[in-house]
Amino acid sequence: MSLGPLVRNKRVLVLCGAGGVGKTTTAAALGVAAARAGRQVLVLTIDPARRLAEAMGMKDHGPEPTAVPPERLGARGAGRLDVWMLEPGIVFERMVRRLAPSEKAARAVLEHRLYRFLSELITGMQEYAAAEALDGFLASERYELIVLDTPPSRHALDFLEAPGRLSRFLDDRIVSLFGPVEGTRGGRLWMGAQALVARVLGPVFGEGFTRELRDFVGAFGSLFAGIRLHTERLRARLSSPDTAFLLVTSPEAAALREAVFFREALAARELPFAGYILNRSWARDEPLPAPEALRPHAQDSAAVQALEALTRLAADEHARATAHRALLARLAEQSPKGAVTVASPDADAGLEDFEGLVRLGDALVPP
Amino acid sequence: MDGGVVLESLWSKRAVLVSGKGGVGKTTLAAALAVAAARAGQPVLLVELSPDENGPSTLAALVGARDEGPRVTVARPGLSFVRLSALEGHRRFLEETLPLRWLADAALRARALRRFLDAGPGLREMGLLYQMLTLLRLTRPGGGPTHPLAILDLPATGHALGLASLPRSVLSVMPGGPIGRAMAEGLAFLQDPARTGVLLASLPEPLPVSEALALSQDLRRLGLPLAAAVLNRMPEDPFTPASRAAAERLLAAHGPHQGQRALGRLARAQASWERFAVGLDAPHLCLPELSATGPELVEQLAGRLVTAPPSRRAREATP
Repeated sequence: MSLGPLVRNKRVLVLCGAGGVGKTTTAAALGVAAARAGRQVLVLTIDPARRLAEAMGMKDHGPEPTAVPPERLGARGAGRLDVWMLEPGIVFERMVRRLAPSEKAARAVLEHRLYRFLSELITGMQEYAAAEALDGFLASERYELIVLDTPPSRHALDFLEAPGRLSRFLDDRIVSLFGPVEGTRGGRLWMGAQALVARVLGPVFGEGFTRELRDFVGAFGSLFAGIRLHTERLRARLSSPDTAFLLVTSPEAAALREAVFFREALAARELPFAGYILNRSWARDEPLPAPEALRPHAQDSAAVQALEALTRLAADEHARATAHRALLARLAEQSPKGAVTVASPDADAGLEDFEGLVRLGDALVPP
Repeated sequence: MDGGVVLESLWSKRAVLVSGKGGVGKTTLAAALAVAAARAGQPVLLVELSPDENGPSTLAALVGARDEGPRVTVARPGLSFVRLSALEGHRRFLEETLPLRWLADAALRARALRRFLDAGPGLREMGLLYQMLTLLRLTRPGGGPTHPLAILDLPATGHALGLASLPRSVLSVMPGGPIGRAMAEGLAFLQDPARTGVLLASLPEPLPVSEALALSQDLRRLGLPLAAAVLNRMPEDPFTPASRAAAERLLAAHGPHQGQRALGRLARAQASWERFAVGLDAPHLCLPELSATGPELVEQLAGRLVTAPPSRRAREATP
């Protein structure tokens, strides 16, 4: 089983894994491979470090995806590659405008002083923005494949949970805590809780701020139905056979722990796990002669010393490669039937440029 | 500056924030620093700040501490451990802010408020930060802080910066009130180079070094003082300059051989080290790649931290 069918047939590839395992680079390379094979592809990254920009040689990230110049891509047929560095501010504003029942309602949210506060406290909101952006692009049907790069693993869980989290926060029952007491639905218990919370919020947040917060949450209230609808639609899409989750890992113990943790999280949520990509490993076999073969050419003492040093490096290299191959075999063994287990070639500095991405894409998905 | 000198300067802080991208060995490094502090006779509180409070604690296991959530436990003489909890921070905050103590308890029993505190933007981080401040404020009966030095293992960059930028964001919307005051205290603390120092961790590879340099810029922008940096897992160099040149000549003339990939890796690591040294405005240490893992690695690194060599640049500058 190879990555080929996934890259050629799926509509969404979600790449998850610990930080520092080369997830963004892998997402970009898969996007490049799919576009070169003739598909219309968007690579969407929500990594705060904006690493993809470096790999794609892009300086700016604007309000719209940027196209990779076709001559650099060398795609077959209608193949096209766009990349977008997620801008949570833009995503939110669009969401508000799309969901608000009227322009006036949208402005009530967007022009509220606290709106800035919400998008400034990016923690957790970025993941929601990613989910929202993915939903938007899927709905627009502009792309045949969207490759989504998620932030490091525990955050990526946030990505799976962010829509639910936001709708919990904006739950109308919570909103009613902030609303006027007389308008409350629900039983006496709820009224009691509301009165209690009202007694707490004032002293804690300050009266002025509590008023402002009430106001803002009230304005947001008009968006609930839409947010819930999006959340459910996205959830359905992510669980459908159109989507594949790929776990990217390195041979490091910490990264592997995250990968296992994440696979369990996917299983618990019934999301389609499609396989592992092992990065930064020497698992790919490269049969080469031993340094000893250089012995006849070692003429002076420096060269003899060089051979000794190379022999030590070769032993280290061999031990590593053996351990990595065993690891790859273990991952394959533990995977369900039909899942992919692929080792990418050992990353070198060249991967930071576009040609490197093309090479990596070809290695992962042989054309 | 060698390892010992850099460590001494860290022990003079109240809080050392260990930060860096995921996968650079940050958690192991935080644990090793705490062990090194305890060995040097510097009492230390090792603090975990995980984004997921329910999962198992890697950090507790690394120093052999019991993980009792928000309660401070003693792992060994001079080394305590705590895992910050947003709920605990919220409780402390409400207790100190509300006129009646029972009101705080009652409020936290209300599911709606708990859900609000759990899901509201930034409120979780505020709770974590507040518990941290409470711990740092504690004093011993005879005077002097209960925890003179705290070492914090911050979650991967995005969240670390989020936490650090939080007080500022909150202050911009709520300059007054109890939250505003608590956040002002937190911000003053985090930005004071006498009390707080960030220790930036990275790996000797091109991308991690680029990210570490970008992170150091972000720290500066947020006014967080960078105290030191650590380049982790530096591969051992088996060559002398002459034998290195000879090896490169041999390989160039006779094609690829085994060991060449490891040599390429070594060359990248050394080039990355150079960039790290030139690009950072802080003393830094280089730790070797060791084969040990888990608690054993922590103990070994704690020893290596003290003897870690100074930066290349500093070494070259010394006659």
